[in-house]
Amino acid sequence: MNVIEINNLTKMYGKARGIENVSFNVEQGEIFGFIGPNGAGKSTTIRTLLSLIYPTSGSAKIFGKDCIEFGPEIKKEIGYLPSEVFYYDNMKVKDLLKYSASFYGKDCSKRIKELAEIMQLDLNKKIDDLSLGNKKKVGIVQGLLHEPKLIILDEPTSGLDPLMQQKFFELLEEENRKGATILFSSHILTEVQRLCNRVAIIKDGKIITVEKISTLQENNYKKFKLLTSVTVDKEYFDMNGVSNLVLENNTVSFLFKGNVNPVMKKLADIEIQNIWVEEPDLEEIFMHYYEKEE
Amino acid sequence: MNIYTHELRAYTKSTIIWTISLVALVILFMSIFPAFSKDAEEFKKLLEGYPEPVRKAIGLNLESFTSLLGFYSYVFLYFSLCGAIQAMNIGTSILSKEVREKTADFLLTKPVSRSKIITSKILAGVTSIVITNICFLIAVTFMASYVKNDSYDQGTFLMISITLLFIQLIFLAIGTFVSVIVSKIKSVIAVSLGTVFTFFIIGMLASTSDDEKLRYLSPFKYFDSAYIIKNSSYETPFVILAILIIGASISAGYIIYIKKDIHTV
Repeated sequence: MNVIEINNLTKMYGKARGIENVSFNVEQGEIFGFIGPNGAGKSTTIRTLLSLIYPTSGSAKIFGKDCIEFGPEIKKEIGYLPSEVFYYDNMKVKDLLKYSASFYGKDCSKRIKELAEIMQLDLNKKIDDLSLGNKKKVGIVQGLLHEPKLIILDEPTSGLDPLMQQKFFELLEEENRKGATILFSSHILTEVQRLCNRVAIIKDGKIITVEKISTLQENNYKKFKLLTSVTVDKEYFDMNGVSNLVLENNTVSFLFKGNVNPVMKKLADIEIQNIWVEEPDLEEIFMHYYEKEE
Repeated sequence: MNIYTHELRAYTKSTIIWTISLVALVILFMSIFPAFSKDAEEFKKLLEGYPEPVRKAIGLNLESFTSLLGFYSYVFLYFSLCGAIQAMNIGTSILSKEVREKTADFLLTKPVSRSKIITSKILAGVTSIVITNICFLIAVTFMASYVKNDSYDQGTFLMISITLLFIQLIFLAIGTFVSVIVSKIKSVIAVSLGTVFTFFIIGMLASTSDDEKLRYLSPFKYFDSAYIIKNSSYETPFVILAILIIGASISAGYIIYIKKDIHTV
């Protein structure tokens, strides 16, 4: 079952691009990563899902219901954490969380306590007096206190120290085990790599690919680096699946996607001094996706 | 209901401050009256020295000035100015506050419709104004009976006093409209003072000029106390106009707010 279905979603800001024909699905129980550089359209997509902004064309469904038409209804089961959190300054943390809970029509006080304890958040402080990281914690508790079925996080880790980030990820994994679906946007790959099952990569407002993390990482890509005895022509490596080709004196390096047999045969014809074949980290794959489009 | 309560609580401080200021203004102005009425003739002579346009602009009418109702309609102009600023402040901050404090994301990702948000917020604003008006009525009635030199028509007195609420509602509606169409209001007080004083000055010009049409431009002139004293009723065209302004501003506010994109700030 798909918790989120996005169909050809387009948002233009006047003539400026927001997102163009974005389509992907997030399945139930998944931790789905949404990665791309700043300004690629991650927030635009997420804000449309939450009906904070309205699409120019296309549509999105959450829990099988149109996210604009049934906005208030589906938001009962959504927990959202924006990238920057600002809350009513003159309130105490406790009062803000109570106010937040009052929208869901159920008693959340126990969960608030639990979450505050995990995140080491002082409930009696004024929000005004909190540091950025602590405000972020308020945001996390606020987003999770009603035990939502869908958690949407827009670059959630900024401002959290590594220890808290760790706790936060554990918390998310636990929510996920309990059945929550998570949409996680980020430009930091390592966090996506750690948590997510699948990712959508977005660039310049368009989805470049949607793939399993494991596929991205292991199955298809190999990083080749070889030291040859004689200089080899660039054209020699002109074959399907080769990218990020760099030739420097007698050193050749490239990323390879696909069946490795043809490339191995080709390499066998060259006089090789040394060869390294490695799993690329996600960062390199990511850069590869970015550059491919240019 | 929770948004209403939250908003009302947020207004508590400003409601108290405005109410106290208004009541203080009432006590101050009304307590001058006995001195005025005692030396009525001398004051008349003194005031005759003012050029007529000036007297008209500040709302002085020599004939009625020394009666309680006449004096009251003169000072009432300043009560309504104070009330208008309060109402415009509330109206302007109704939605702009969420943008300025960047809490729009918080509120709008909760399971509530935008129309419910704006309804709760307007109702909280109206409640705050009504509370101010009740205190104002009590204070002004008490002061009137305390300083009166002669008996006065209490019905007319009440009719004039209640126009404060009408004027406030008009400015609340205008403020709400402004807060929806202007994407980012940096300073509420600058916008509200600017708007209110513009209308106030137009009102002054309307008093000095013989052109009746100018009155339509300033809500301060919709409920003319001289007319109320004379006829014990409001002027129908202006009542209709007031209702139209409130209706149009609020509906436009709803329509625009419901369709508006909420951007990150």
